[in-house]
Amino acid sequence: MGLLIAFRDALGLFFATWRWTFRGSLFRQRKVFLRQLHDIGNRSVLFITVTLGVLGVISVFQVLLQVERILPEFSVVGPAFIQTMVREFAPTITGLMIATRVGSGIAAELGSMVVTEQVDALRLCNADPVDYLVAPRFWACVLHTVLLTVYGGVVGVCCGAVVAHEVWEIPWTSFFSLRLVELSDAASGLMKATAYGMAIPIAAAQAGLETTGGSEGVGIATTRAVVNASFAVVVLDFLLSGLSFLLWFQGR
Amino acid sequence: MIRFENVSKRFGTHQVLDDVSLTVPKGRILFIIGTSGAGKSVLVKHLVGLIRPDSGRIFLDDLEVTQLSEKALYPVRKRCAMVFQHSTLFDSMTLAENVALPLLKHRKLDPETADAEALRRLAQVHMEASARRYPADIGDGLRKRVAIARALTLEPEYVIFDEPTTGLDPVAAANVDQLIRSLSADFGVTSIVVSHDLRSIFKVADRVAMLYQGKVLLDGPPSAFRSTTDPVVRQFIEGRPEGPMRFPRARGS
Repeated sequence: MGLLIAFRDALGLFFATWRWTFRGSLFRQRKVFLRQLHDIGNRSVLFITVTLGVLGVISVFQVLLQVERILPEFSVVGPAFIQTMVREFAPTITGLMIATRVGSGIAAELGSMVVTEQVDALRLCNADPVDYLVAPRFWACVLHTVLLTVYGGVVGVCCGAVVAHEVWEIPWTSFFSLRLVELSDAASGLMKATAYGMAIPIAAAQAGLETTGGSEGVGIATTRAVVNASFAVVVLDFLLSGLSFLLWFQGR
Repeated sequence: MIRFENVSKRFGTHQVLDDVSLTVPKGRILFIIGTSGAGKSVLVKHLVGLIRPDSGRIFLDDLEVTQLSEKALYPVRKRCAMVFQHSTLFDSMTLAENVALPLLKHRKLDPETADAEALRRLAQVHMEASARRYPADIGDGLRKRVAIARALTLEPEYVIFDEPTTGLDPVAAANVDQLIRSLSADFGVTSIVVSHDLRSIFKVADRVAMLYQGKVLLDGPPSAFRSTTDPVVRQFIEGRPEGPMRFPRARGS
């Protein structure tokens, strides 16, 4: 029951964010939006670089070890890895990383504003907290989740290629072949990144705005934000992978 | 006139307000006192719809605000300002932007006019030189001054002050007392002041109400407060650690 109520509240916050967006929230809150772009995007670059880079190295290394045992034919490894990266690894790993770094940040910031009564003060000024606080963070997160997914995918593939070339001497051109990647793979990856980019700030903002108590409450809200945002990424990954399969991948 | 009628509020198992009734006549100043956690801030937040009562009714003049929607509360919030305990300035805005916000949102002024008015309001609390600075750049006492300027910028008929002198130096606290008195005497503003500051109470209040264990223990003029023989009120006035007073449990405990 609690889960259903939380889901209903999250949907309410999601639609309220769209409503304020259509009423020009981003233009009015452009200063906050630009600051959020910096906080969510620029400050996540190193985090995403390391995570996706290491993932690329380890994945390609493990796959090549197995492939070497079964059939000493490496030409398919690069294209298959790129396809998996585009469809799955880049959006989902980036989404999970953003859920932890950005989700906790949004929940902590909004939670602190709640316990110090800044959100109440906003309401007394006839300013809706969704307009002032949620909408700028929402769109900054959507934009940067998509951009960081593309960036993280490129980093992961490049790091994997270095391992393939240096350890197994696979030619660069063979690894970087895009022959298995179709437009539908890119569409699937971008659809997931966009969905994660929307779900993470909503889960985090909801946790932050529902904070009660003092600093302990902020801590609880932050933990809840990370759990809910990560859970949302995993569930959306499952649902959107199924949808992509039905729409594009069936029979390929 | 402000009227609370049999207001009750519970958080979890903790009954914070239990059948509280209070009236503040127009233009008068009511001080609400009580130990920390007695429900003073909870009570005043009911007036502007930041908290909804479990039962009871709240009136602002003849308008019942108890169950108004968020949208219907906007005109109420225009008439009734609140100075919060923690100043609550918005960190991402300059001091001038903080003060201009109610003008932009409630009065729909254009940004230039709102900014000019904000500077005028800041000058009234001697903060105009810091107008372009951010809340994080100034101290607590100065932030409180700006918060008062922001609350008064719409020239409200009712003002709620939640511990307005806490954290202020004696001179600044005396200025705030003088301001509250002058709002009532010169502009007919009705004020509710949540405070522990006995010096302010005896200097400024028209009436004093003490909340204790969710109920109104005393409601009368400062002279009645000063001369009461109630042992709990006496312990509060004299600030004695020993006595009959029982302290509220922390919320949720």
